[in-house]
Amino acid sequence: MPDSGAGRGRARELVACHQCDELQCIGMLAPGQSAHCYRCGALLARNPAGGLLLPIVLNMSALLLMLLAYFLPFLTLEIQGRSQQTTLPGTAKALYDAGMGETGIVVLLTTVVGPILLVTGSLYVLLSVQLYKPLPGLRHIMVWIGHVLPWGMLDVFMVGVLVAAVKLSDMANLVVGPALYAYVALIVVSTAALSQFEPHIIWARMDRMGVWYRAR
Amino acid sequence: MRASCLGLASCAVCNQLMRLPAVRTGLCPRCGSHVHVRKPASLSNSWALLLAAVIMYFPANLLPIMTVVYLGSGQPDTIISGVIRLMMHGDWPIALVVFVASVLVPLLKMIVLVYLLFSVHRKSNLRRRERTRLYRMTELVGRWSMVDVFVVALLAALVHLGVLADITPGPGARAFAAVVILTMLSAMSFDPRLIWDHEEDCP
Repeated sequence: MPDSGAGRGRARELVACHQCDELQCIGMLAPGQSAHCYRCGALLARNPAGGLLLPIVLNMSALLLMLLAYFLPFLTLEIQGRSQQTTLPGTAKALYDAGMGETGIVVLLTTVVGPILLVTGSLYVLLSVQLYKPLPGLRHIMVWIGHVLPWGMLDVFMVGVLVAAVKLSDMANLVVGPALYAYVALIVVSTAALSQFEPHIIWARMDRMGVWYRAR
Repeated sequence: MRASCLGLASCAVCNQLMRLPAVRTGLCPRCGSHVHVRKPASLSNSWALLLAAVIMYFPANLLPIMTVVYLGSGQPDTIISGVIRLMMHGDWPIALVVFVASVLVPLLKMIVLVYLLFSVHRKSNLRRRERTRLYRMTELVGRWSMVDVFVVALLAALVHLGVLADITPGPGARAFAAVVILTMLSAMSFDPRLIWDHEEDCP
């Protein structure tokens, strides 16, 4: 059943909505356009306005910001001359030290490991597709990105920072570390990168590069 | 026309459409993932994970999520008492954020999942589009409940100054993280296509 899609892009493609199973054709999408299921309204496909280069640049910047956000001091607390500081991964370690290792692992996976996998994984795939060079493991990484996607929670952590800052406001003095600035920039950049990353387009490009699990 | 009526299935990972009997291994020819017409054991998996989440909801709300000791005196805080403390302090916007993310969202999400699961069991024909939209919203909003777990982790990492001030995480935070993850998994196991399956017989 799969059509070859070799050479030129397909003008119309038959898809089944993944939320109501309705068969429908998607035409060519202009940059910035998206297609929704006519029956249930689910998003079927998008064509991000930035092409492939914009998400590549955004993911590269996200990777750099991650180095700063994860390794530099995040917040410093001062009470009556005494102070204590933490990094972002340090929050997971604090839970581990308190005997709540599993919860620490959840925090580590959702705020550090997940986002790192997403950014490096999508960068690898985007570069491979942009260079038209089927790098090893391309297909596996695309499958992995789909599984990791819902578990990245950098943006949720930001609300956690706000709530924690308010709770501490009358108890102590909070000093914002350089990592927090990098982290705020990271949220903006990685959210933009995700909004520009459309698996539908990447899979179609990979079709044209001949990256299939089974040769047809 | 539903794809399943024509014996077609689409890959959950890469959305490739294919004729199922032709795929003997059950693997997607494009990405190599397992292909199913519907998510396997969707209803029972979804119910089981939801039930586990409901059970964990009790310790999550009854046990303290952290203990705050400030200048020698302190008390354990549950999620609700944390919200009340913020309100009494006059931090209304933040109290509202925590209340919505930690109390309202998990509760509504579990109620919505129960409703969706029952409606599929009853083979309901009503408001399919709205129910699918409801499902999309629970998927979108669920992760935001993790806020309180992150708050506890941050406070526990920052406030370790002996008798001056000390915050230790409590077992409630662990149960609460479990609720968030279990409801997320339950929603992921639910197959919204089941809502549409009883609409009419295939022509």
